[in-house]
Amino acid sequence: MRQLAHMLDTRQATSREIVTRYLEQIAQQEPQLNAFITVDEDGALLQAEEADRRRAEGRALSPWDGIPIAVKDNISTAGLKTTCASRFLENYRPLFDATVVDNLRQAGLPIIGKTNLDEFAMGSSTEYSAYGVTRNPHDLSRVSGGSSGGSAAAVAAGEAPWALGTDTGGSIRQPASFCGVVGLKPTYGAVSRYGVVALAPSLDQVGPVATTVEDTAILFSLIAGPDRRDASSSEARPFQVPRWDEQFVTGLKIGVPEEFFGEGLDQEVEQAVRKCLAELESRGAVLVPISLATNEYAIDTYLTLVTAEASSCLARYDGVRYGTRVAAADSNTMFSKSRAAGFGSEVKRRIMLGTYVLSASHYEAYYEQAQKVRTLIKRDVLASFEEVDVVITPTTPTPAFRIGAKRNPLEMYLSDLFTAMANLSGIPAISVPCGKDSKGLPLGIQIMASHFQEELLFKVAYMVERGCL
Amino acid sequence: MFDLIDRQDVIRMARLARLELSEAEIDQYQQDLAGFVSSGRKLQQVDVSAVEGTSHAVVVTHELRKDEVAESLPQDLVLSTGPDVSDGFFRVPRIVEEQE
Repeated sequence: MRQLAHMLDTRQATSREIVTRYLEQIAQQEPQLNAFITVDEDGALLQAEEADRRRAEGRALSPWDGIPIAVKDNISTAGLKTTCASRFLENYRPLFDATVVDNLRQAGLPIIGKTNLDEFAMGSSTEYSAYGVTRNPHDLSRVSGGSSGGSAAAVAAGEAPWALGTDTGGSIRQPASFCGVVGLKPTYGAVSRYGVVALAPSLDQVGPVATTVEDTAILFSLIAGPDRRDASSSEARPFQVPRWDEQFVTGLKIGVPEEFFGEGLDQEVEQAVRKCLAELESRGAVLVPISLATNEYAIDTYLTLVTAEASSCLARYDGVRYGTRVAAADSNTMFSKSRAAGFGSEVKRRIMLGTYVLSASHYEAYYEQAQKVRTLIKRDVLASFEEVDVVITPTTPTPAFRIGAKRNPLEMYLSDLFTAMANLSGIPAISVPCGKDSKGLPLGIQIMASHFQEELLFKVAYMVERGCL
Repeated sequence: MFDLIDRQDVIRMARLARLELSEAEIDQYQQDLAGFVSSGRKLQQVDVSAVEGTSHAVVVTHELRKDEVAESLPQDLVLSTGPDVSDGFFRVPRIVEEQE
């Protein structure tokens, strides 16, 4: 990114030229990949020309003014279609920008398009998108991961230099790992959720996807910060891109939880992560075996909470103020038919599960119980950071799987086995590439740290990037 | 506490969720709910006595804003997204019975 910024700064390239180059790449790649739901060619070129004018007049908005970005299609962009990969919102154009989009505009970043996802971010492969699957740029027969599969694939294929995604149970980190790019799930509350279509408000976070750790950190610095329009956003903690220091790893205590290296873990994934850990150790880090025993309950807890919150959040799609409407003689029938016509099968499944979990006779047994187990998980995670600085695990149990390989929804939910814990406990976590397997598929390593320790995460991630590729 | 899931449960949930389901979907979600209930059993084994629930991962104190009139989106713009609007309103099917 610094190179693009330098080219713009020294007039070696205009924003229009850079945006045009990415648009050409999109035109070439999209027939195979399907990473975008909407490409805003005209809008992006218009924004690029404005950026060029600002630079010519010496009033660039930021060093990144004129560098384009892709945005996941569940993040509101005023006037630009935001479908959430759902038929229900096929023609929905938001009337306002999400705060994070506003942040991008303040920095002068032209929005090149809206990326594909699983419908309403419910899924781990983009196979649940109403607009078709996003294929993995490293192997077109495989998924890009999800739900931010479009953002990860677009960045991996050079269709955009960076992108925004959202992560509720692993939806940034898992596709980043599958596509060989870097993805951060920030601390809960570090980034505003205003204007981001809710899946599960107690877990959702917006985060950056990019090809390098530094670019990911730069993008995070643009979107982090408090927002009066999001009551869950945390007080001002300005984030600055750290100085990259390779010495700091000396004495760094890295927790290695045995539970993440057990049954079901692909051998080549394990080898790559262990090799990377050994590399960090050889540079002076101290590996500390730890236990995160409560991860055994993470997926079931996550599933209970996410379906409950989703069924409640999706109640707003009634066909009255926006979206799909199927005419009927009475309102209840109109709601039921509109929702039946607009939602895909996974969304309906989660609404059904969530309604069950929240219904009067099951609320205590499921929802309350899951909230309490969540407390135990959070305690377990935070206790580990009294012993160690960071925790390192594989991002996913396997590399990218084949399209159509996971027919059973419960099997699909297991994709989030190593990532859901960070959302449940609110801590930041990043996925960084750590090599490829024998089939040439990218592998990812996950680094977790305590609340608001993004700077530490980036520094460790930078070392991984230097030493483990 | 853990009932077996029968078709009537599924139909009741669908009604609560305002979701019209086909017969095939009812069968499918009956199976899915059953699978889900068995995974819920595992969570039941966890001892949570004396544990408070967590509803948000990071504790935030909510600050009340001043009760001031602020600018809002213009009415015609807001109505522009509606599938059926008339006279400054979103139109819906009749919800109150006409008096005889």
